[in-house]
Amino acid sequence: MEIKPLGDSAILISFGEVIDDSINARVHAVARAIEKKDFDWLVETVPAYSSLAVIFDPLRASFEDVREAIQPLLGVSAEAFMGRRIEIPVLYGGEYGPDIEFVAQYNGLSVDDVIELHSGKTYRVHFLGFLPGFAYLSPVDERITIPRLEKPRLKVPAGSVGIAGRQTGIYPIESPGGWRLIGRTPLRLFDPGRDPPTLLQPGDEVNFVPIGEKEFWEIHKAEWGDG
Amino acid sequence: MIELISVPSLLTVQDAGRTGYRRLGVPVSGFMDGFSARIANYLVGNPGDAPLLEFLLAGPKIKFNASVVFAVAGDVEVKLNGVPIEAWRSYWAKRGDILEVGTLRSGLYGYIALAGGIKCERLLGSCSAYPRADLGRPLKTGDRLSVGYALLTGREGRFLPPKLRPNYSRDKVEVRVVLGPDLDHFTEKGIETFLNSAYTITPESDRMGYRLDGPSVEHSEKGADIVTGPLISGSVQVPANGKPIVMMKDAQTTGGYAKIATVISADLSRLAQSRPGTKVQFKEVTPNEALKELKRREKTLEAIKDFLDGKLRAYSVRALGREFLTFAGKV
Repeated sequence: MEIKPLGDSAILISFGEVIDDSINARVHAVARAIEKKDFDWLVETVPAYSSLAVIFDPLRASFEDVREAIQPLLGVSAEAFMGRRIEIPVLYGGEYGPDIEFVAQYNGLSVDDVIELHSGKTYRVHFLGFLPGFAYLSPVDERITIPRLEKPRLKVPAGSVGIAGRQTGIYPIESPGGWRLIGRTPLRLFDPGRDPPTLLQPGDEVNFVPIGEKEFWEIHKAEWGDG
Repeated sequence: MIELISVPSLLTVQDAGRTGYRRLGVPVSGFMDGFSARIANYLVGNPGDAPLLEFLLAGPKIKFNASVVFAVAGDVEVKLNGVPIEAWRSYWAKRGDILEVGTLRSGLYGYIALAGGIKCERLLGSCSAYPRADLGRPLKTGDRLSVGYALLTGREGRFLPPKLRPNYSRDKVEVRVVLGPDLDHFTEKGIETFLNSAYTITPESDRMGYRLDGPSVEHSEKGADIVTGPLISGSVQVPANGKPIVMMKDAQTTGGYAKIATVISADLSRLAQSRPGTKVQFKEVTPNEALKELKRREKTLEAIKDFLDGKLRAYSVRALGREFLTFAGKV
Protein backbone atom coordinates (compact mmCIF):
# COMPACT_ATOMS: atom_id res chain seq x y z
CA MET A 1 0.00 0.00 0.00
CA GLU A 2 1.26 3.46 -0.85
CA ILE A 3 0.20 6.84 0.51
CA LYS A 4 1.15 9.91 -1.50
CA PRO A 5 0.14 13.55 -1.66
CA LEU A 6 -2.26 14.48 -4.46
CA GLY A 7 -1.45 18.19 -4.42
CA ASP A 8 -1.93 20.12 -1.18
CA SER A 9 -5.55 19.23 -0.50
CA ALA A 10 -5.76 15.50 -1.12
CA ILE A 11 -4.01 12.27 -0.25
CA LEU A 12 -3.95 9.24 -2.53
CA ILE A 13 -3.97 5.75 -1.08
CA SER A 14 -3.01 3.10 -3.62
CA PHE A 15 -3.75 -0.57 -2.95
CA GLY A 16 -1.91 -1.82 -6.07
CA GLU A 17 -2.36 -1.19 -9.77
CA VAL A 18 -4.93 -3.86 -10.56
CA ILE A 19 -8.62 -4.33 -11.28
CA ASP A 20 -9.74 -6.85 -8.71
CA ASP A 21 -13.01 -7.38 -6.78
CA SER A 22 -11.48 -7.96 -3.38
CA ILE A 23 -9.05 -5.04 -3.63
CA ASN A 24 -11.90 -2.79 -4.75
CA ALA A 25 -14.00 -3.98 -1.80
CA ARG A 26 -11.13 -2.91 0.49
CA VAL A 27 -11.01 0.51 -1.18
CA HIS A 28 -14.69 1.03 -0.37
CA ALA A 29 -14.35 -0.35 3.16
CA VAL A 30 -11.53 2.09 3.94
CA ALA A 31 -13.49 4.96 2.33
CA ARG A 32 -16.49 4.20 4.54
CA ALA A 33 -14.34 3.88 7.66
CA ILE A 34 -12.83 7.33 6.97
CA GLU A 35 -16.23 8.92 6.21
CA LYS A 36 -17.65 7.49 9.44
CA LYS A 37 -15.00 9.20 11.57
CA ASP A 38 -16.36 12.69 10.93
CA PHE A 39 -12.91 14.31 10.84
CA ASP A 40 -13.38 18.08 10.77
CA TRP A 41 -10.86 18.34 7.91
CA LEU A 42 -12.58 15.75 5.72
CA VAL A 43 -14.21 17.12 2.55
CA GLU A 44 -14.99 13.83 0.82
CA THR A 45 -13.52 10.55 -0.39
CA VAL A 46 -13.22 9.42 -4.02
CA PRO A 47 -12.85 5.66 -4.45
CA ALA A 48 -11.68 4.17 -7.77
CA TYR A 49 -10.65 0.60 -8.78
CA SER A 50 -7.67 0.13 -6.50
CA SER A 51 -7.02 3.61 -5.17
CA LEU A 52 -8.76 6.10 -2.96
CA ALA A 53 -8.45 9.88 -2.74
CA VAL A 54 -9.14 11.55 0.59
CA ILE A 55 -9.93 15.21 -0.04
CA PHE A 56 -9.24 17.43 2.95
CA ASP A 57 -9.35 21.09 3.93
CA PRO A 58 -5.68 22.12 3.95
CA LEU A 59 -6.46 24.99 6.32
CA ARG A 60 -7.50 22.46 8.96
CA ALA A 61 -4.95 19.68 8.50
CA SER A 62 -1.67 19.00 6.75
CA PHE A 63 -0.74 16.00 4.63
CA GLU A 64 1.04 14.47 7.64
CA ASP A 65 -1.95 15.04 9.96
CA VAL A 66 -4.26 13.29 7.51
CA ARG A 67 -1.86 10.41 6.93
CA GLU A 68 -1.53 9.84 10.65
CA ALA A 69 -5.27 10.02 11.24
CA ILE A 70 -6.20 7.50 8.56
CA GLN A 71 -3.34 5.06 9.22
CA PRO A 72 -5.29 3.01 11.82
CA LEU A 73 -8.25 2.71 9.42
CA LEU A 74 -6.36 1.18 6.52
CA GLY A 75 -6.64 -2.36 7.85
CA VAL A 76 -10.46 -2.54 8.14
CA SER A 77 -11.99 -5.73 6.82
CA ALA A 78 -13.93 -5.56 3.59
CA GLU A 79 -16.45 -8.28 4.28
CA ALA A 80 -19.22 -6.34 5.96
CA PHE A 81 -20.14 -4.56 2.74
CA MET A 82 -23.15 -5.72 0.71
CA GLY A 83 -24.28 -3.79 -2.32
CA ARG A 84 -27.76 -3.74 -3.77
CA ARG A 85 -28.72 -5.88 -6.75
CA ILE A 86 -30.02 -3.93 -9.74
CA GLU A 87 -31.42 -5.10 -13.08
CA ILE A 88 -30.82 -2.85 -16.06
CA PRO A 89 -33.06 -3.40 -19.10
CA VAL A 90 -31.14 -3.11 -22.38
CA LEU A 91 -32.24 -2.95 -25.99
CA TYR A 92 -29.29 -4.58 -27.75
CA GLY A 93 -28.02 -3.94 -31.30
CA GLY A 94 -29.34 -1.94 -34.25
CA GLU A 95 -29.10 1.83 -33.99
CA TYR A 96 -29.10 1.48 -30.19
CA GLY A 97 -25.91 -0.57 -30.18
CA PRO A 98 -24.10 0.29 -33.42
CA ASP A 99 -20.90 -1.63 -32.56
CA ILE A 100 -22.47 -4.95 -31.60
CA GLU A 101 -21.79 -6.57 -34.99
CA PHE A 102 -18.16 -5.48 -34.85
CA VAL A 103 -17.83 -6.92 -31.34
CA ALA A 104 -19.33 -10.20 -32.60
CA GLN A 105 -17.09 -10.41 -35.70
CA TYR A 106 -13.96 -9.39 -33.79
CA ASN A 107 -14.52 -12.29 -31.39
CA GLY A 108 -15.84 -14.81 -33.96
CA LEU A 109 -19.32 -14.89 -32.46
CA SER A 110 -22.90 -14.16 -33.48
CA VAL A 111 -24.74 -11.08 -32.25
CA ASP A 112 -26.97 -13.33 -30.15
CA ASP A 113 -23.87 -14.82 -28.50
CA VAL A 114 -22.70 -11.32 -27.57
CA ILE A 115 -26.09 -10.49 -26.02
CA GLU A 116 -26.15 -13.78 -24.13
CA LEU A 117 -22.61 -13.39 -22.80
CA HIS A 118 -23.07 -9.75 -21.84
CA SER A 119 -26.41 -10.25 -20.08
CA GLY A 120 -25.46 -13.60 -18.56
CA LYS A 121 -23.08 -12.17 -15.97
CA THR A 122 -23.35 -10.26 -12.73
CA TYR A 123 -21.14 -7.19 -12.61
CA ARG A 124 -20.00 -5.13 -9.68
CA VAL A 125 -19.98 -1.33 -9.66
CA HIS A 126 -16.31 -0.77 -8.87
CA PHE A 127 -16.73 3.00 -8.72
CA LEU A 128 -18.40 5.95 -10.41
CA GLY A 129 -16.28 8.37 -12.39
CA PHE A 130 -15.66 10.01 -15.79
CA LEU A 131 -19.19 11.45 -15.87
CA PRO A 132 -21.82 11.94 -13.18
CA GLY A 133 -23.27 8.47 -12.59
CA PHE A 134 -20.93 6.62 -14.96
CA ALA A 135 -20.43 3.20 -13.34
CA TYR A 136 -17.32 1.15 -14.04
CA LEU A 137 -18.59 -2.45 -14.21
CA SER A 138 -16.45 -5.54 -14.60
CA PRO A 139 -15.31 -8.10 -15.44
CA VAL A 140 -16.80 -8.72 -18.88
CA ASP A 141 -16.67 -12.32 -20.21
CA GLU A 142 -13.31 -12.77 -21.94
CA ARG A 143 -15.01 -13.90 -25.14
CA ILE A 144 -16.53 -10.44 -25.77
CA THR A 145 -13.71 -8.10 -24.70
CA ILE A 146 -12.85 -5.42 -27.26
CA PRO A 147 -10.42 -2.50 -27.52
CA ARG A 148 -11.74 1.08 -27.42
CA LEU A 149 -12.54 2.95 -30.65
CA GLU A 150 -9.43 4.45 -32.21
CA LYS A 151 -11.26 7.74 -32.54
CA PRO A 152 -13.88 8.44 -29.88
CA ARG A 153 -17.38 9.44 -31.00
CA LEU A 154 -18.21 13.08 -30.41
CA LYS A 155 -21.71 12.23 -29.21
CA VAL A 156 -22.80 9.08 -27.42
CA PRO A 157 -26.51 9.11 -26.50
CA ALA A 158 -27.54 8.89 -22.83
CA GLY A 159 -28.19 5.29 -21.76
CA SER A 160 -25.73 3.75 -24.23
CA VAL A 161 -24.16 0.53 -22.97
CA GLY A 162 -20.54 0.04 -23.99
CA ILE A 163 -17.58 -2.30 -23.60
CA ALA A 164 -13.90 -1.35 -23.26
CA GLY A 165 -11.44 -4.14 -22.54
CA ARG A 166 -12.84 -6.15 -19.65
CA GLN A 167 -15.08 -3.31 -18.50
CA THR A 168 -18.64 -2.46 -19.36
CA GLY A 169 -20.52 0.72 -18.54
CA ILE A 170 -23.51 2.92 -19.28
CA TYR A 171 -23.28 6.55 -20.42
CA PRO A 172 -25.61 8.41 -18.02
CA ILE A 173 -25.76 11.58 -20.13
CA GLU A 174 -24.92 12.45 -23.71
CA SER A 175 -21.16 12.89 -24.01
CA PRO A 176 -18.17 12.09 -26.19
CA GLY A 177 -16.99 8.51 -25.73
CA GLY A 178 -14.64 5.83 -27.00
CA TRP A 179 -16.27 2.64 -25.72
CA ARG A 180 -17.85 0.18 -28.22
CA LEU A 181 -21.63 0.52 -28.00
CA ILE A 182 -23.73 -2.65 -27.95
CA GLY A 183 -27.10 -1.41 -26.68
CA ARG A 184 -29.04 1.19 -24.78
CA THR A 185 -31.03 1.28 -21.55
CA PRO A 186 -34.16 3.40 -21.16
CA LEU A 187 -33.36 3.95 -17.47
CA ARG A 188 -32.24 7.36 -16.27
CA LEU A 189 -28.88 6.86 -14.56
CA PHE A 190 -28.31 10.45 -13.47
CA ASP A 191 -31.03 12.84 -12.36
CA PRO A 192 -29.81 16.01 -10.65
CA GLY A 193 -33.24 16.44 -9.05
CA ARG A 194 -32.90 13.21 -7.05
CA ASP A 195 -30.74 12.64 -3.99
CA PRO A 196 -28.72 10.53 -4.44
CA PRO A 197 -28.67 11.64 -8.07
CA THR A 198 -27.31 8.37 -9.40
CA LEU A 199 -29.19 5.12 -9.94
CA LEU A 200 -26.06 3.05 -9.27
CA GLN A 201 -23.80 3.27 -6.24
CA PRO A 202 -20.35 1.82 -5.72
CA GLY A 203 -20.61 -1.81 -4.59
CA ASP A 204 -23.94 -2.50 -6.29
CA GLU A 205 -24.34 -5.69 -8.31
CA VAL A 206 -25.74 -5.26 -11.78
CA ASN A 207 -27.45 -7.60 -14.27
CA PHE A 208 -28.38 -6.59 -17.80
CA VAL A 209 -31.75 -7.85 -19.08
CA PRO A 210 -32.46 -7.86 -22.85
CA ILE A 211 -35.70 -6.13 -23.82
CA GLY A 212 -37.54 -5.31 -27.08
CA GLU A 213 -38.08 -1.94 -28.72
CA LYS A 214 -41.69 -1.50 -27.54
CA GLU A 215 -40.73 -2.14 -23.93
CA PHE A 216 -37.73 0.20 -24.31
CA TRP A 217 -39.91 3.15 -25.25
CA GLU A 218 -42.52 2.37 -22.56
CA ILE A 219 -39.86 2.44 -19.86
CA HIS A 220 -38.16 5.43 -21.52
CA LYS A 221 -41.36 7.44 -21.34
CA ALA A 222 -41.86 6.59 -17.68
CA GLU A 223 -38.25 7.50 -16.83
CA TRP A 224 -37.69 10.63 -18.91
CA GLY A 225 -41.20 11.98 -19.43
CA ASP A 226 -42.27 12.72 -22.98
CA GLY A 227 -38.89 14.06 -24.12
CA MET B 1 -34.44 41.02 -10.49
CA ILE B 2 -32.01 41.55 -13.35
CA GLU B 3 -32.50 40.87 -17.04
CA LEU B 4 -29.77 39.84 -19.48
CA ILE B 5 -30.01 42.14 -22.50
CA SER B 6 -27.07 40.57 -24.31
CA VAL B 7 -24.75 37.68 -23.56
CA PRO B 8 -21.70 37.70 -25.85
CA SER B 9 -19.87 34.71 -24.38
CA LEU B 10 -20.07 31.90 -21.85
CA LEU B 11 -21.92 33.28 -18.85
CA THR B 12 -22.78 31.03 -15.90
CA VAL B 13 -23.76 31.21 -12.26
CA GLN B 14 -20.96 29.86 -10.05
CA ASP B 15 -20.33 29.55 -6.35
CA ALA B 16 -17.62 27.83 -4.31
CA GLY B 17 -18.51 24.51 -5.95
CA ARG B 18 -20.26 21.22 -5.39
CA THR B 19 -18.63 18.97 -2.84
CA GLY B 20 -19.73 15.61 -1.49
CA TYR B 21 -20.70 14.05 -4.81
CA ARG B 22 -17.34 13.25 -6.37
CA ARG B 23 -17.71 9.59 -5.43
CA LEU B 24 -20.76 9.57 -7.74
CA GLY B 25 -18.73 11.04 -10.58
CA VAL B 26 -20.03 14.61 -10.19
CA PRO B 27 -17.33 17.28 -10.74
CA VAL B 28 -16.83 20.06 -8.21
CA SER B 29 -17.15 23.04 -10.62
CA GLY B 30 -17.33 26.50 -9.01
CA PHE B 31 -15.38 29.75 -9.54
CA MET B 32 -12.49 29.27 -11.99
CA ASP B 33 -10.70 32.14 -10.25
CA GLY B 34 -11.72 31.88 -6.61
CA PHE B 35 -9.52 34.86 -5.65
CA SER B 36 -11.27 37.41 -7.91
CA ALA B 37 -14.69 35.87 -7.32
CA ARG B 38 -14.39 36.13 -3.55
CA ILE B 39 -13.24 39.74 -3.75
CA ALA B 40 -16.20 40.51 -6.05
CA ASN B 41 -18.49 39.11 -3.35
CA TYR B 42 -16.73 41.03 -0.57
CA LEU B 43 -17.10 44.25 -2.59
CA VAL B 44 -20.89 43.97 -2.28
CA GLY B 45 -20.84 42.70 1.31
CA ASN B 46 -21.62 39.07 0.48
CA PRO B 47 -19.99 36.00 2.00
CA GLY B 48 -17.11 34.91 -0.28
CA ASP B 49 -18.90 31.81 -1.55
CA ALA B 50 -22.16 33.51 -2.62
CA PRO B 51 -23.41 32.69 -6.14
CA LEU B 52 -22.40 35.26 -8.75
CA LEU B 53 -22.01 35.61 -12.52
CA GLU B 54 -18.84 34.36 -14.19
CA PHE B 55 -18.12 35.44 -17.76
CA LEU B 56 -15.50 34.26 -20.19
CA LEU B 57 -13.61 37.13 -21.90
CA ALA B 58 -16.58 39.36 -22.69
CA GLY B 59 -19.18 40.52 -20.20
CA PRO B 60 -22.95 40.84 -20.63
CA LYS B 61 -25.30 43.80 -20.82
CA ILE B 62 -27.69 43.77 -17.89
CA LYS B 63 -30.88 45.68 -17.06
CA PHE B 64 -31.74 46.14 -13.39
CA ASN B 65 -35.44 45.78 -12.59
CA ALA B 66 -34.93 46.72 -8.95
CA SER B 67 -32.37 48.53 -6.80
CA VAL B 68 -29.22 46.43 -6.50
CA VAL B 69 -25.67 47.00 -5.32
CA PHE B 70 -23.24 45.38 -7.73
CA ALA B 71 -19.51 45.13 -8.45
CA VAL B 72 -17.48 43.88 -11.41
CA ALA B 73 -14.13 42.12 -10.89
CA GLY B 74 -11.71 41.96 -13.80
CA ASP B 75 -9.46 44.08 -16.00
CA VAL B 76 -12.40 45.42 -17.98
CA GLU B 77 -14.25 48.53 -19.10
CA VAL B 78 -17.60 48.96 -17.35
CA LYS B 79 -20.43 51.40 -18.11
CA LEU B 80 -23.56 52.25 -16.14
CA ASN B 81 -26.21 53.92 -18.35
CA GLY B 82 -23.47 54.61 -20.89
CA VAL B 83 -21.20 56.37 -18.39
CA PRO B 84 -17.83 54.74 -17.64
CA ILE B 85 -17.52 53.47 -14.06
CA GLU B 86 -14.79 51.49 -12.34
CA ALA B 87 -14.26 47.78 -12.00
CA TRP B 88 -13.37 46.58 -8.47
CA ARG B 89 -15.81 49.14 -6.97
CA SER B 90 -19.39 48.61 -5.80
CA TYR B 91 -22.22 50.80 -7.09
CA TRP B 92 -25.88 51.24 -6.37
CA ALA B 93 -28.01 50.62 -9.47
CA LYS B 94 -31.61 51.80 -9.62
CA ARG B 95 -34.56 50.22 -11.38
CA GLY B 96 -34.13 50.65 -15.14
CA ASP B 97 -30.35 51.17 -15.05
CA ILE B 98 -28.26 49.41 -17.70
CA LEU B 99 -24.88 47.86 -16.93
CA GLU B 100 -22.49 47.11 -19.79
CA VAL B 101 -19.40 45.03 -19.17
CA GLY B 102 -16.82 45.05 -21.97
CA THR B 103 -14.10 42.62 -23.01
CA LEU B 104 -11.32 41.76 -20.59
CA ARG B 105 -8.03 43.51 -21.42
CA SER B 106 -6.15 40.79 -19.57
CA GLY B 107 -7.18 37.59 -17.81
CA LEU B 108 -9.82 35.16 -19.00
CA TYR B 109 -12.66 35.14 -16.45
CA GLY B 110 -14.53 38.11 -14.99
CA TYR B 111 -17.11 38.29 -12.21
CA ILE B 112 -20.25 40.27 -11.51
CA ALA B 113 -21.43 40.13 -7.90
CA LEU B 114 -24.79 41.40 -6.63
CA ALA B 115 -25.52 42.20 -2.99
CA GLY B 116 -27.61 39.36 -1.60
CA GLY B 117 -26.20 36.92 -4.14
CA ILE B 118 -27.91 35.45 -7.17
CA LYS B 119 -30.91 33.34 -6.24
CA CYS B 120 -30.76 29.99 -7.91
CA GLU B 121 -31.91 26.45 -7.61
CA ARG B 122 -29.36 24.58 -5.55
CA LEU B 123 -28.71 21.27 -7.25
CA LEU B 124 -26.80 18.80 -5.08
CA GLY B 125 -26.02 21.62 -2.70
CA SER B 126 -24.58 24.13 -5.15
CA CYS B 127 -25.58 26.75 -7.72
CA SER B 128 -22.48 26.13 -9.84
CA ALA B 129 -23.44 25.42 -13.43
CA TYR B 130 -22.18 22.16 -14.92
CA PRO B 131 -24.33 22.08 -18.05
CA ARG B 132 -23.16 18.67 -19.32
CA ALA B 133 -25.12 16.96 -16.56
CA ASP B 134 -28.08 19.35 -16.48
CA LEU B 135 -26.71 20.97 -13.34
CA GLY B 136 -27.55 24.52 -14.37
CA ARG B 137 -27.06 25.84 -17.91
CA PRO B 138 -25.21 28.64 -19.68
CA LEU B 139 -27.21 31.86 -19.41
CA LYS B 140 -28.64 33.47 -22.55
CA THR B 141 -30.13 36.72 -23.73
CA GLY B 142 -33.53 37.33 -22.19
CA ASP B 143 -32.87 35.32 -19.02
CA ARG B 144 -34.05 36.93 -15.81
CA LEU B 145 -32.32 36.28 -12.52
CA SER B 146 -33.52 36.96 -9.00
CA VAL B 147 -31.28 38.49 -6.39
CA GLY B 148 -31.33 37.46 -2.75
CA TYR B 149 -32.62 39.91 -0.16
CA ALA B 150 -30.01 42.22 1.33
CA LEU B 151 -29.86 45.56 3.06
CA LEU B 152 -28.08 47.70 0.50
CA THR B 153 -26.94 50.62 2.63
CA GLY B 154 -23.24 50.52 3.32
CA ARG B 155 -22.53 48.07 0.55
CA GLU B 156 -22.02 50.63 -2.18
CA GLY B 157 -18.81 52.58 -2.71
CA ARG B 158 -16.50 49.80 -1.53
CA PHE B 159 -13.28 49.95 -3.50
CA LEU B 160 -10.30 47.67 -3.98
CA PRO B 161 -7.06 49.69 -4.32
CA PRO B 162 -5.22 48.95 -7.59
CA LYS B 163 -2.24 47.56 -5.66
CA LEU B 164 -4.39 44.70 -4.38
CA ARG B 165 -5.87 43.71 -7.72
CA PRO B 166 -4.60 40.54 -9.32
CA ASN B 167 -2.18 41.01 -12.19
CA TYR B 168 -2.61 38.76 -15.20
CA SER B 169 0.40 38.24 -17.40
CA ARG B 170 -0.16 37.66 -21.08
CA ASP B 171 3.25 36.13 -21.78
CA LYS B 172 4.38 33.88 -18.99
CA VAL B 173 3.02 32.47 -15.76
CA GLU B 174 4.93 30.52 -13.11
CA VAL B 175 2.83 27.81 -11.55
CA ARG B 176 3.95 25.83 -8.52
CA VAL B 177 3.28 22.10 -8.33
CA VAL B 178 3.58 19.21 -5.93
CA LEU B 179 5.11 16.31 -7.88
CA GLY B 180 3.34 12.93 -8.12
CA PRO B 181 1.50 10.73 -7.42
CA ASP B 182 2.27 8.60 -10.52
CA LEU B 183 5.98 9.47 -10.83
CA ASP B 184 6.95 5.83 -11.55
CA HIS B 185 5.21 6.24 -14.93
CA PHE B 186 7.79 8.86 -15.96
CA THR B 187 11.52 8.74 -16.59
CA GLU B 188 13.83 11.06 -14.70
CA LYS B 189 14.41 12.83 -17.98
CA GLY B 190 10.64 13.20 -18.44
CA ILE B 191 10.25 14.83 -15.04
CA GLU B 192 13.17 17.16 -15.83
CA THR B 193 11.60 18.10 -19.17
CA PHE B 194 8.34 18.88 -17.38
CA LEU B 195 10.02 21.15 -14.81
CA ASN B 196 12.50 22.84 -17.12
CA SER B 197 10.39 23.66 -20.19
CA ALA B 198 7.92 26.39 -20.97
CA TYR B 199 4.54 25.01 -22.06
CA THR B 200 1.98 26.94 -24.09
CA ILE B 201 -1.73 26.88 -23.21
CA THR B 202 -3.59 25.74 -26.34
CA PRO B 203 -7.01 26.96 -27.53
CA GLU B 204 -8.51 23.50 -26.74
CA SER B 205 -8.78 24.56 -23.13
CA ASP B 206 -11.94 25.09 -21.12
CA ARG B 207 -13.40 24.87 -17.62
CA MET B 208 -12.63 21.14 -17.63
CA GLY B 209 -8.92 21.28 -18.43
CA TYR B 210 -6.08 23.35 -19.90
CA ARG B 211 -4.16 21.49 -22.62
CA LEU B 212 -0.53 22.39 -22.98
CA ASP B 213 1.87 22.20 -25.88
CA GLY B 214 5.64 21.94 -25.58
CA PRO B 215 8.42 19.38 -25.23
CA SER B 216 7.01 15.85 -24.77
CA VAL B 217 7.30 14.41 -21.28
CA GLU B 218 8.88 10.96 -21.50
CA HIS B 219 7.05 8.06 -19.87
CA SER B 220 8.84 5.16 -18.22
CA GLU B 221 8.39 1.56 -19.40
CA LYS B 222 5.15 1.53 -17.35
CA GLY B 223 3.61 3.79 -19.99
CA ALA B 224 1.06 6.60 -19.96
CA ASP B 225 -1.98 4.60 -18.88
CA ILE B 226 -2.78 3.75 -15.26
CA VAL B 227 -5.61 1.78 -13.72
CA THR B 228 -8.25 4.55 -13.64
CA GLY B 229 -7.84 6.51 -10.42
CA PRO B 230 -9.04 9.70 -8.70
CA LEU B 231 -7.89 13.15 -9.74
CA ILE B 232 -8.57 16.68 -8.52
CA SER B 233 -8.53 20.13 -10.04
CA GLY B 234 -4.87 21.00 -10.49
CA SER B 235 -3.91 17.42 -11.38
CA VAL B 236 -1.56 17.31 -14.38
CA GLN B 237 -2.24 14.26 -16.55
CA VAL B 238 0.19 13.27 -19.28
CA PRO B 239 -1.29 11.06 -22.04
CA ALA B 240 0.83 8.98 -24.42
CA ASN B 241 1.71 11.97 -26.64
CA GLY B 242 3.62 13.49 -23.71
CA LYS B 243 1.67 16.79 -23.68
CA PRO B 244 0.46 17.73 -20.17
CA ILE B 245 -3.20 18.52 -19.42
CA VAL B 246 -4.00 20.47 -16.25
CA MET B 247 -7.41 19.57 -14.87
CA MET B 248 -9.48 22.62 -13.91
CA LYS B 249 -12.74 23.14 -11.96
CA ASP B 250 -15.02 21.01 -14.16
CA ALA B 251 -12.48 18.15 -14.08
CA GLN B 252 -13.82 14.65 -14.33
CA THR B 253 -13.45 12.90 -10.96
CA THR B 254 -11.25 10.04 -12.18
CA GLY B 255 -8.84 9.53 -15.05
CA GLY B 256 -6.70 6.90 -16.72
CA TYR B 257 -3.56 8.87 -17.61
CA ALA B 258 -0.54 9.05 -15.32
CA LYS B 259 -0.42 12.21 -13.17
CA ILE B 260 2.99 13.84 -13.01
CA ALA B 261 2.07 16.65 -10.60
CA THR B 262 -0.69 18.77 -9.05
CA VAL B 263 -0.87 22.56 -9.26
CA ILE B 264 -1.00 24.01 -5.73
CA SER B 265 -4.32 25.50 -4.59
CA ALA B 266 -2.82 28.98 -4.19
CA ASP B 267 -1.82 29.10 -7.89
CA LEU B 268 -4.95 27.64 -9.53
CA SER B 269 -6.69 31.02 -9.86
CA ARG B 270 -3.70 32.54 -11.63
CA LEU B 271 -3.48 29.61 -14.03
CA ALA B 272 -7.24 29.84 -14.68
CA GLN B 273 -6.78 33.47 -15.73
CA SER B 274 -4.04 32.63 -18.25
CA ARG B 275 -5.17 32.80 -21.85
CA PRO B 276 -4.36 30.37 -24.64
CA GLY B 277 -0.91 31.31 -25.92
CA THR B 278 0.43 32.09 -22.44
CA LYS B 279 3.60 30.20 -21.49
CA VAL B 280 3.44 28.11 -18.34
CA GLN B 281 6.56 27.32 -16.32
CA PHE B 282 6.13 24.70 -13.59
CA LYS B 283 8.10 24.90 -10.35
CA GLU B 284 8.32 22.12 -7.78
CA VAL B 285 7.37 22.78 -4.13
CA THR B 286 6.64 20.47 -1.18
CA PRO B 287 3.07 20.01 0.14
CA ASN B 288 4.07 22.06 3.21
CA GLU B 289 5.31 24.96 1.09
CA ALA B 290 2.05 24.73 -0.88
CA LEU B 291 0.12 24.93 2.36
CA LYS B 292 2.12 27.95 3.51
CA GLU B 293 1.26 29.72 0.24
CA LEU B 294 -2.41 28.88 0.64
CA LYS B 295 -2.45 30.21 4.21
CA ARG B 296 -0.76 33.40 3.04
CA ARG B 297 -3.41 33.79 0.32
CA GLU B 298 -6.23 33.21 2.81
CA LYS B 299 -4.74 35.83 5.13
CA THR B 300 -4.62 38.33 2.27
CA LEU B 301 -8.23 37.61 1.35
CA GLU B 302 -9.33 38.00 4.97
CA ALA B 303 -7.50 41.32 5.26
CA ILE B 304 -9.13 42.50 2.03
CA LYS B 305 -12.53 41.50 3.37
CA ASP B 306 -11.97 43.33 6.66
CA PHE B 307 -10.72 46.37 4.78
CA LEU B 308 -13.79 46.41 2.52
CA ASP B 309 -16.03 45.89 5.56
CA GLY B 310 -14.40 48.92 7.16
CA LYS B 311 -12.78 46.90 9.94
CA LEU B 312 -9.22 47.54 8.80
CA ARG B 313 -7.53 50.57 7.31
CA ALA B 314 -5.18 50.36 4.38
CA TYR B 315 -2.00 52.43 4.42
CA SER B 316 0.49 53.14 1.71
CA VAL B 317 4.06 52.55 2.80
CA ARG B 318 7.17 53.55 0.90
CA ALA B 319 10.04 51.14 1.23
CA LEU B 320 12.91 50.03 -0.99
CA GLY B 321 11.88 52.74 -3.42
CA ARG B 322 8.50 51.09 -3.96
CA GLU B 323 5.08 51.74 -2.60
CA PHE B 324 3.43 48.97 -0.61
CA LEU B 325 -0.04 48.69 0.80
CA THR B 326 -0.45 47.53 4.35
CA PHE B 327 -3.41 47.00 6.66
CA ALA B 328 -3.67 48.07 10.25
CA GLY B 329 -5.87 48.53 13.26
CA LYS B 330 -9.46 47.77 14.12
CA VAL B 331 -11.68 50.77 13.43
